[in-house]
Amino acid sequence: MRHTLRERLMLAAALVLTTVYLFPLYWMYITTLKSGSAIFASPPAFWPTDPQWQIYGHVWHSRNMGRYILNSLVIASGAVAIVSVLGVGCAYVLARYRNIWVDAGLFLVLMLQVLPASLMITPIFVGFSQVGLLHYPRLAVIIAIAAKGMPFFIVLVRATFMNVPRELEEAALVDGDSRSGAFFRIALPLARKGILVSGMLIFMQAFGEFVYSRSMIQRVELQPASVGLYSFMAPNANEWNSIMAYAAIYMTPLLAVFVLLQRGIVSGLTSGALK
Amino acid sequence: MKGRWSSIVDGKGFDIALVALPLTFLLALSGVPLIYNVLMSLQQVDLFSLGTFWRPYVGFKNYSELFAQQETWPILANTAIFVAASIVGQFLIGFGLALMFSTNFPGASWLRGLFLVSWVMPGLVVGAIWSWILSGDFGVLNYLLRESGLINGNIFWRSDPNYSLLGVIIANIWLGISFNMILLSVGLSAIPADLYEAAELDGANAWQRFWTITLPMMRSSIGAVIALGIILTLQQFDLFAAITSGGPNDSSNVAQYWAWELSFRQYDFAKGATISVIMIVFVMVAAFVYVRSTRHEIRG
Repeated sequence: MRHTLRERLMLAAALVLTTVYLFPLYWMYITTLKSGSAIFASPPAFWPTDPQWQIYGHVWHSRNMGRYILNSLVIASGAVAIVSVLGVGCAYVLARYRNIWVDAGLFLVLMLQVLPASLMITPIFVGFSQVGLLHYPRLAVIIAIAAKGMPFFIVLVRATFMNVPRELEEAALVDGDSRSGAFFRIALPLARKGILVSGMLIFMQAFGEFVYSRSMIQRVELQPASVGLYSFMAPNANEWNSIMAYAAIYMTPLLAVFVLLQRGIVSGLTSGALK
Repeated sequence: MKGRWSSIVDGKGFDIALVALPLTFLLALSGVPLIYNVLMSLQQVDLFSLGTFWRPYVGFKNYSELFAQQETWPILANTAIFVAASIVGQFLIGFGLALMFSTNFPGASWLRGLFLVSWVMPGLVVGAIWSWILSGDFGVLNYLLRESGLINGNIFWRSDPNYSLLGVIIANIWLGISFNMILLSVGLSAIPADLYEAAELDGANAWQRFWTITLPMMRSSIGAVIALGIILTLQQFDLFAAITSGGPNDSSNVAQYWAWELSFRQYDFAKGATISVIMIVFVMVAAFVYVRSTRHEIRG
């Protein structure tokens, strides 16, 4: 009996803390539903009395969000494509061998993972401009994001491959399969869940990326939603209900995907980040 | 030729190809820019010489000029404050939450998962939300602080030089709690439960158990989490862009944002590269500690 009371107290405390933690999110959604004058009311309303649903459609059209979101999708998909095509094999080999070269490779990957984007953008920008890549700004951003995300992806997927028993591949080799055949037919299908979750994480990061896009994409029609939000905030910072509506439209799909994949994401993150 | 191809399909060549391709890509896009960054910090780079490969070398002139600028030391100090305050806040709150969720009450894992939503939010969205919460006249944070009697007048978080850095730190702590909590939870769950049971039988109270079992057993996870926290805090850019833009008057500016400003606002690419080189050295030191502290797991 004493035990259940303690458990109930812990649950209550956890609920309170979770609520406090999630308040900024709640505040974003609640602000979108307030009218232009209600957002400046004092005291502020914590529950919408007169919800203004039409703001979502209005912001979507007036800010031309379809184009921004499309650009974000193009950039994120491109980055995920490069990262998965190049990264999966690398993660696989780094998981299968244990020697000095693998250690050196892993060390290199881990060190390249930590370079801050806002500090790397200067040499990348100058280098890209010299080889002419800035004429294709979205491609340039895709490549830069892929390079930034790949180490993280390799570390996560490597942890997945470590859990695929090596014996299964050896059995396939004994049965006359080739080395590449064993990889494509045995190891890859068994690791697909981990690869999918890691790919989603890269996608989410790329979908929210800002500093590369802000620095390399000058033409408004090619900019992603993050840059669109930035340019919306800068000049007229009093339309907070519209800005919050933009933010809500931008991130709600990500939130939905996160809730769907929550289990896999949490276990993928924890196995990768400390291993 | 046939031999080489069959090696790629069925042999060592296959493995080497799988590693060589991505590592070449990574080296070309992270390693080369890294070296190029050092090179640029020793050159004279402006808008006119941006497109050429051969630029005049100026030695350490960029460095000496940088440290002669009056804003350099305050910005470096801001960076140190930003990192230290963020880490302390994120770590203490994250550790407290991890300890709480490790007691396994009903619904614990589900609620813990909710904390990770900040992980998938675009940085600029987080910045936008906090800009609005921190807003001086109509921000909800000021309202809550006023109502609870903690402050008398409104704090202008984003435009008061005394509070601008603190505003970004608060947002960054909020953002960083989740990864601290989840990684420390992993470390906590790895401690064998019978250690606690034995200590309890010996009459150790909760506080003694924490000091003698939890903390020593968590030493390597704590080291890894703090090192990773420093790395991630030094990567934070979006919050500065969204909340204060480093202002007012550089009061909330930090090195990673200043480097970008120097290059892309003032088009002083050499100075931008110079400050980048300095900061990347710090990041590398933290990364080295991180990689070292997780090395036994890497090999496992």
